[in-house]
Amino acid sequence: MALPPPQFTMTTGFTQQNLEAIASGEPAWLKSQRLAAWQTYERLPLPTKRDVEWQRFDIRALKLDKITLPADKPAITERLTALPPAWSKQGVVFCDMRTALTKHSEVLKEYLGKSIAPDEPSKFNALHAALWRNGAFLYVPRNVCVDQPLEVVYEFTGQNTAGFPHTLVVVEPGAEATLVQKFIGGPPVGSNGTPSIHASGTEVFVKEGGHLHYISEQNFSPNVYDFTLKRAHVARDAEIDWVLGMFGASFQRYDVECVMEGEGGTSFMYAVGVLDHNQQFGQFTKQHHKTGNTTSDLMFKNVLRDSAVSNYTGLIKVEKNANGTNAYQANRNLVLSKEVRCDTRPILEIESNQLRCTHGATVGQLEEQQLFYLRSRGLTPELARDVLIEAFLEPVLARIQVESVQKEFASLIHQKVVRKQ
Amino acid sequence: MSNVATDQILGGAYKEGFHDDLKSVHKVPKGPTHAVIDYMCDVKGEPDWMRQFRHRSLDLFLKQDLPAWMPGLRDIDYDAITYYMSPIDKSANKWEDVPEEIRRTYDKLGIAKEEQKLLGGLGAQIDSEMAYHNIQESLSKRGVIFLSCDEGMKQYPDIFKEHFAKSIPPEDNKFAALNSAFWSGGSFVYVPKGVKCDVPLSVYFRINAEQFGQFERTLIICEDDSFCHYVEGCSAPVYTTHSVHAAVVEIFVKDRARCRYTTIQNWSTDVYNLVTKRAFLYKNAVMEWVDGNLGSKRTVKYPSCYMVGEGAHGEILSLASADKGMWQDAGAKLVFFAPNCTGRINSKSISGHGGRASYRGLVQVNEEAKNCRVQVNCDALILDPVSRSDTYPVMEIDGDLATIEHEASVSNVSEEQLFYLMSRGIKKEDAVSMIVNGFIEPIVKELPMEFAVEINRLINLQMEGSVG
Repeated sequence: MALPPPQFTMTTGFTQQNLEAIASGEPAWLKSQRLAAWQTYERLPLPTKRDVEWQRFDIRALKLDKITLPADKPAITERLTALPPAWSKQGVVFCDMRTALTKHSEVLKEYLGKSIAPDEPSKFNALHAALWRNGAFLYVPRNVCVDQPLEVVYEFTGQNTAGFPHTLVVVEPGAEATLVQKFIGGPPVGSNGTPSIHASGTEVFVKEGGHLHYISEQNFSPNVYDFTLKRAHVARDAEIDWVLGMFGASFQRYDVECVMEGEGGTSFMYAVGVLDHNQQFGQFTKQHHKTGNTTSDLMFKNVLRDSAVSNYTGLIKVEKNANGTNAYQANRNLVLSKEVRCDTRPILEIESNQLRCTHGATVGQLEEQQLFYLRSRGLTPELARDVLIEAFLEPVLARIQVESVQKEFASLIHQKVVRKQ
Repeated sequence: MSNVATDQILGGAYKEGFHDDLKSVHKVPKGPTHAVIDYMCDVKGEPDWMRQFRHRSLDLFLKQDLPAWMPGLRDIDYDAITYYMSPIDKSANKWEDVPEEIRRTYDKLGIAKEEQKLLGGLGAQIDSEMAYHNIQESLSKRGVIFLSCDEGMKQYPDIFKEHFAKSIPPEDNKFAALNSAFWSGGSFVYVPKGVKCDVPLSVYFRINAEQFGQFERTLIICEDDSFCHYVEGCSAPVYTTHSVHAAVVEIFVKDRARCRYTTIQNWSTDVYNLVTKRAFLYKNAVMEWVDGNLGSKRTVKYPSCYMVGEGAHGEILSLASADKGMWQDAGAKLVFFAPNCTGRINSKSISGHGGRASYRGLVQVNEEAKNCRVQVNCDALILDPVSRSDTYPVMEIDGDLATIEHEASVSNVSEEQLFYLMSRGIKKEDAVSMIVNGFIEPIVKELPMEFAVEINRLINLQMEGSVG
């Protein structure tokens, strides 16, 4: 039986009372995590342009004291595909977080908050850790291979509000699964007031020889500020392949990390971002090689139009004695307007010597020659342009193994690319 | 790979580590104070504007904080450092006029021998002052000026004042402010319109004193269509205390002119080397920085090209070798303010024996800079498991008309290459040495012959005493 929906009054702005209300009825260990995170939140100042990571972003429109959390249900609700009984019989769990807290509290206690710690050095990640109240939990037992994709849709409703969904994924040794996360909705277009906040966390543990295919799509409406942290721990011989799509929200800060903890572990991180109007995207990736003989590959591709602003900061960190590391990182940006601002900071920190690390970053435009070629084949200038943009993003789409999701990505890209002024 | 190779490449004896007991003609109390500035201005007989400039800069230095990304400099004790000290009274322009004990120091370093062979001019600075400055007659007849910076200010006040601190104002950063407050020595180079200086002008900087701050200031002006190649080298004795070398180098490369600035930095491992180097490039100008960093405790140096004229081309070749106790935070900056400019950065670093080599770079394309092209390549070799290599490139692009490419790789000496060479009967040490020399070759080949030989000598000398 799930916990009854919490009944509480919410104050405007973020207060510890909100936390108390959310935590009532929860186990003590969870509440102490929340309180620790709350202290981090209170301690950290709001980022300003003086912080290197924030210098290109303007989030002054965000008014924390104008935000009210809804009392009855979270501002962002989850919708999960029903798990066929065949899988639940084998011990697979795919349920919402509140159900998980009652039914699977032992597993949760072992993993929850172990990756996204209460002292995460980011104000919004700490806020999420203190105030999350729903989300999804996926557990795949040893040697079970779930061959159908499992999907969770997070839908944002209301305005001047905030939602903090949390996702926890545990893939036991030798198991395999595909998880699709979609983030949609948000305040209606043209609504005023402060932007609404989406601050979410996804914790992933892939155990020995496990394999997770992970797809995430973010397509919020414009008046949302998105603060997202996704971190995966990859054990010995385990693998995770990520495909991330970033399309909506007027501001987005994505922190995506893989922590390579066992030999033979592999992480493939692929992402597309299509930015237009005044969208501001910050993409912060970290490939953290704690153990040697691990591989990580990363490719982030962005298309920027109008007066969009992007900052890609990627770190490959190789710890001492992580010999045999093989890490690659690429950030490619296609700039379509002269108002665009595009920063890229690919960083390497290497403390080991038997390895191969490379990275590449480019910022460029469509090639005149390619445009000319297509036009000489009878394509209109607009069509030639669109074809080339979609071709630029194609290598990322090709990584999506779920056909319906691949089509959805393609159509979202297409809509944003062919958009006329 | 074993430590053998590391020992081969790095960690040899630092042969410039000796010091001579020189009597100071001038010496001030320790610490950065306004009184020191007044003393310096009096001794040097400087104009009032410079005195005010120095005082203002000191205020800025005391007020400014270090940028957050610049770690590892907090332990510098500014109060323990002597800011002005000189064993000589005035700069000589005949080698014979240089005081004998200083001549002896330079003879040990083999400086004077080079002059006749290959240089168009030679300068030698010891501690705060230039001991010697001379230029070939053929060059001075064509109007080329090569003086110490202090002399430049006295003899050519108009040219000096027009350019001094115009590309690096004291507000630029903490160490530029420090230099602006206490600058002394360095070179003043002026190449008139159309004059090509086909032989390099060279300056050697030596710190002899202990707990000392050397703040040389160099100003190079290449007028339209001119060419100049400036080469600097440096060394210091090995002490147990720290010295600071905070230089400022400003270069103005006017329309269609070309300037090449070569540095072989070989400070001892107790010197903090905190240098601001910047060139302004006007229409179709070409600037080349060749920057070799082999010594020092900590180097923070990012030679920069600011493209202010259309069609300029900036090129930075950076070579860093970080041995035990060193952190080479070297890099490059290309900043574009004008259209149709191009830039290239090529960086190679080697770290071993626990040394840390970092590349830190900035490529900034401002909105008015249309059709700019930039290519950045960084390669790093790590020789053993205790060493570290970092890459911190930043690219900031406004607008849609730039093409920027950055690539970096970090690796160890490839077993395969090693095996191949050894299978051809080459000893392991020689094989590693060949691979390392091949790795840095693209930069070394840009050095003047004598310097290329010197680099190879340094690297090979440091391989001595390694065991198989």
